[in-house]
Amino acid sequence: MTVRDAPAGEPAPRRPTAYPLPECDLGFGLGLRTPHLRHVLTHWPQVDWFELISENFLDSGGYPRYALDRIAERYPVVMHGVSLSIGSTDPLDRDYLGRLRHLATATGARWVSDHICWTGVAGLNTHDLLPVPFTEESLAHMVRRVRTVQDFLERPLVLENPSSYAEFTGSVMSEWEFVSRLAAESGCGLLLDVNNVYVSSVNHGFDPEAYVRALPHDRVVQIHLAGHTHLGTHVVDTHDQPVADPVWRLYRLATSLTGPVATLLEWDDHIPPFPELLDELAKARRYTGAARDERARVLCG
Amino acid sequence: MASPPVTLVDTQRWFQRAVLDPGGPSDSIDEVLTRSEELSARQRLDVYRRGYRLRLLETMRGLHPALRVLLGPDLFDDFALDYLDAYPSRSYTLFQLDARFTDHLATRRPDRDLPGGRREGWVDVIVDLARYERAFAEVYDDPGPATAPFLRVLRVCAPVHTYHATVRHGLPAEPPALGPDPVHLALSRRDYAVVTNELEPDAYRLLSSPLAEGRPPRS
Repeated sequence: MTVRDAPAGEPAPRRPTAYPLPECDLGFGLGLRTPHLRHVLTHWPQVDWFELISENFLDSGGYPRYALDRIAERYPVVMHGVSLSIGSTDPLDRDYLGRLRHLATATGARWVSDHICWTGVAGLNTHDLLPVPFTEESLAHMVRRVRTVQDFLERPLVLENPSSYAEFTGSVMSEWEFVSRLAAESGCGLLLDVNNVYVSSVNHGFDPEAYVRALPHDRVVQIHLAGHTHLGTHVVDTHDQPVADPVWRLYRLATSLTGPVATLLEWDDHIPPFPELLDELAKARRYTGAARDERARVLCG
Repeated sequence: MASPPVTLVDTQRWFQRAVLDPGGPSDSIDEVLTRSEELSARQRLDVYRRGYRLRLLETMRGLHPALRVLLGPDLFDDFALDYLDAYPSRSYTLFQLDARFTDHLATRRPDRDLPGGRREGWVDVIVDLARYERAFAEVYDDPGPATAPFLRVLRVCAPVHTYHATVRHGLPAEPPALGPDPVHLALSRRDYAVVTNELEPDAYRLLSSPLAEGRPPRS
């Protein structure tokens, strides 16, 4: 199959949304990490669903893939990628997209997500989520590529706001305006990472609550929670500790605006034993309960 | 001074060059990136520059735990960073990050211009241990052939496989000792675990022949 990918700078053609967003109230899930595979296969813990890192399984034929197939038989899974590079000016990688589609079919993934970023150009992959200039050119380029990927995958793409540490002088709109317009014009769903909103808000000096309030809440398919590290001069998205209080407050605000939405706890460094992850995830249930009460009060007057 | 990038294509090329170049960008930073209340534009760019190196260095450490023990953490990091600067990743997966590491070590060896018989044996141990670790990772998780058991055969200069196993079990290990003859190894995957067996030279020759890999013999 050919992936048509026009060069950067070409305007994105207008057309209606082609793919409806998936049902998104999966409950409370965990990121599936290699150190926990055997634990999950042995204990079948009480988790609503799992999120896998797509690239960890695209070429796997050993124990990780065996474990994933067993887990996907018992739990809903979603795929979360880090190498789509949707904002890059390099051509889309057809081989990569084909592998994504194959894995999504094989695992019955409820949706496929990645990040609003680029990871490299000139054929290179920095394996980092590099920042996007918030310009009309960048937006049109990304809208066009999202549509291309959705047509290839034959499902909506879900995109996450990444943490960022630098901004471009050439940006002409806020991040939340860029994200909102991207969703509206491409038809993609949003993965709202409230920790990333907080990290970027400190690094760039914006109001994180204003960011969350400004998003199109009906397009939020999933929420990410994670820990970060404050280095004094800036905050880094480290995924190596419990979720911070300001992030929990943002989460409560977000779920009061979106309604019930799949919530996922990420933990990628200094990974604790599985039961500790469950304890941290249980906090999300409590915050959502509070948000639901808040939402009911608003709706009922 | 060069003009700052204007188009998206130029901006991304500038940014990537600024992140990957060990020396960093020399100009245009304040024209491309904003400062924050706490950090200059260059300091904000440095967050990405440090993050790039640290992330890939940690991946290399994870792919080569035994070589890191053999070399010591500082020398391993020097070798790995030299490799990453020479061969930045072109793959969507970090599992391929060390795909050319063994070749890179071989081309960087200090005695590379000497005839084979006069080269330092300890350098061969380093190269062969890196090669073994790469093969071990491939056998562990590679999809492999659909119709045959996954098998990889290696000829190495020393028992690097026992050193690797000792380090993986967290035990103190003596560096692999060079013997008079090479060691022949077969790595296979059974019940999702890697099994390494020593082979007789004849068995190695048979298993590494084109026929063993399903290829027609050379005429």
